[in-house]
Amino acid sequence: MGSSVISAVTNFGRGSGDSGTSTEVSTWSKGDSVRTGLAALLVVGLLFTAYQLSDNEGTGVNAALSLLIGSALGIAFERGRFCFFCIFRDAIEDRDTTPFLSILSAIAVGAIGYAVIFGQFLPDTSSDRLPPNAHIGPVSTALIAAGLAFGIGMALSGACISGHLYRIGQGSLRAYPALFGSLIGFGLGFKSWNTLYSKSISDAPTTWLPHYLGYGGSLVLTLLLLAVIAVVTIRFGKNSTPLANPVATKIDLASLRQSLLINRWRPLTTGAIFGVIGTFAYLRIEPLGVTRQLSTTSRTYFEGQGWIPQNLDGLDLMAGCIAVVSTAIVNNGWLILGIVTASFAAALAGNRFKFQQITWRNALTALVGGMLLGWSSMIALGCTVGVLLSGTQSFALSGWVFFATAFTGAWIGIKLKLHKL
Amino acid sequence: MFKNLVVRPKNIVVALLSLGLVAGVTVAPASAAPKNLARSVVQADWLEKNLDNPDVKIIEVSTEAGLYERGHIKNAVKFNWYTDLVETVNRDIVAGARFQKLARAAGINKNSTVVLYGDKNNWFAAWGAWIFNTYGIEDVRLVDGGRVKWEKDGRPFTTVVPTPKEGNFVATKADKSIRATLIRDVLPAVRKKGTVDLVDIRGADEYNGKIFAASGFQELAIRAGHIPGAVNVPWGANVNSDGTFKTVAELKKLYADKGIDGKKTIITYCRIGERSSLTWFVLSEILGYDVKNYDGSWTEYGNGVGNPINNPAGTIWGAA
Repeated sequence: MGSSVISAVTNFGRGSGDSGTSTEVSTWSKGDSVRTGLAALLVVGLLFTAYQLSDNEGTGVNAALSLLIGSALGIAFERGRFCFFCIFRDAIEDRDTTPFLSILSAIAVGAIGYAVIFGQFLPDTSSDRLPPNAHIGPVSTALIAAGLAFGIGMALSGACISGHLYRIGQGSLRAYPALFGSLIGFGLGFKSWNTLYSKSISDAPTTWLPHYLGYGGSLVLTLLLLAVIAVVTIRFGKNSTPLANPVATKIDLASLRQSLLINRWRPLTTGAIFGVIGTFAYLRIEPLGVTRQLSTTSRTYFEGQGWIPQNLDGLDLMAGCIAVVSTAIVNNGWLILGIVTASFAAALAGNRFKFQQITWRNALTALVGGMLLGWSSMIALGCTVGVLLSGTQSFALSGWVFFATAFTGAWIGIKLKLHKL
Repeated sequence: MFKNLVVRPKNIVVALLSLGLVAGVTVAPASAAPKNLARSVVQADWLEKNLDNPDVKIIEVSTEAGLYERGHIKNAVKFNWYTDLVETVNRDIVAGARFQKLARAAGINKNSTVVLYGDKNNWFAAWGAWIFNTYGIEDVRLVDGGRVKWEKDGRPFTTVVPTPKEGNFVATKADKSIRATLIRDVLPAVRKKGTVDLVDIRGADEYNGKIFAASGFQELAIRAGHIPGAVNVPWGANVNSDGTFKTVAELKKLYADKGIDGKKTIITYCRIGERSSLTWFVLSEILGYDVKNYDGSWTEYGNGVGNPINNPAGTIWGAA
């Protein structure tokens, strides 16, 4: 495999495909008009589809809202390059820790939003009840193993699951074998679930901070912890890029377009947008997650084949991106459709859509990495979005454990140069 | 204070006819008068006018997590079926003392009108109604069509959780006349055929023993089929496509066609007793028959050693 291809694949998002930040306003060409027009059409199409869904008996308002939430996510993922693996890799490999701040800002803003909603959903934290649907999971050795495997899977396949989803919109071809691998991985997860459940997960504590500290104390502790991580991160970042400079000294349409469509969004802003979307998603439907539809598809298929047990012990009692057996599209399916389509629209408008080269070799690493991502998302009941973000925002210890272990796994993967295979 | 609140003209006709029947056209058993003084089904229109009525206490019993929290009828208090309305250690209905505490916290007084509604066609709300009746509330009603109809009609939900003033409700001793147990009621009914009407409200395949439980339910009985002598009237036959109850005349005919006319005591059952509490509500509270809900249901009866069963499908040993 040629080295140019390697760099095109592994440096995706750092090279020509992503303009990063520019203080120069690029000129508007005829091609830009066409691409932006197409992107606008896609957005109109999404809005129209949402309208149709909301009117449809079978799907209803929640499906429509899921599509719109997914669309907002797709734009934010693409414009903020909010891909956990890229963010971890920038920090570990290049010691550029600026992008890492977007994760911290997403958790901080989301935690504030969740605290407000929790206060109404479950005013009394003294009982052993948990707020409905929030992604608060058991903290077990299986979760630690899943986090590490997820990190390694990210390194092998080049992105996390949400990263692969939004990169489909940017023209990534490796995302396909990676996501296909994740479907197989979910199947392996279902196959190993009952054993892991009885050996590790069933006895594990489901630790939720507000049971001990209330909402105020949990929020203060979370923000303090984020502040400490931010300080350590900024000190570690020897080669960090500065937070983006303004494009122009005065506002005009060209500079606005440059900021919105061309330049990468600032990390703190991107994170805050994720925090806000996460809050809205929890208020109206369910916490953010991107694996429920994938795992549902996998479970339905494998159960039909008789390869996985029909009874997955205790799964119904858990909270997270839980797969059901269903041939219909669940709300999460509409969310994913929104991510991919809106990311494509955003990439088009900024002229970042480009088919990435794919070789047998990098397709295979994507497939194997995807299998690891799928297995660990099943065992952890979610991925970097469903457990890491939604979990930490919910004050769940499980979210923090997954954060630490997925980061460690990515670190190991990068040190072993798995992302350069 | 509350009259029969039937807005549909055909129901008024039916009610008048029923009065005629009770008045002597046929001999109705003494127990056929509705236990509740007021009609036990409220229409959403009436509830919208009475949301702030201090004598009306609204309770939501839904089982889908987060449903109540994301929006409920104004002033409704949430009861959790899994923990509030059943005992979690010994399989039983909630104990009187615990229920009294729960009801008082919801602001319920001795003379309150308790209005219940919920998801899944009011299955669990009907269980709630059965429990309230068990512990001596005089006026218990279900909202016609439950949550689904309320939402479909575009009526408002709120996310504000009410903080009611402590009520003074006192739970009576549990009323045994509306609850069937295996030893006291069900086995004697099986032994002396024809003394009691048994109604199995599960689907036909479950009733006939083709399947052990509807798909998705994990708690099974070791054998399939039904209690000997039971007739099969699936719970869904009680309601229209929008989840509202059928008219009194339709319901009367539905059961009369199966040989159930309220002249004998009736026992309703399903798999765990929650769907059959809806049929209990229809027969007891709407039609005014003498009905006991058997909450042990098939998961107790079909698992009991020595209990005779009827299994037309001939399946043996289930989850194999």
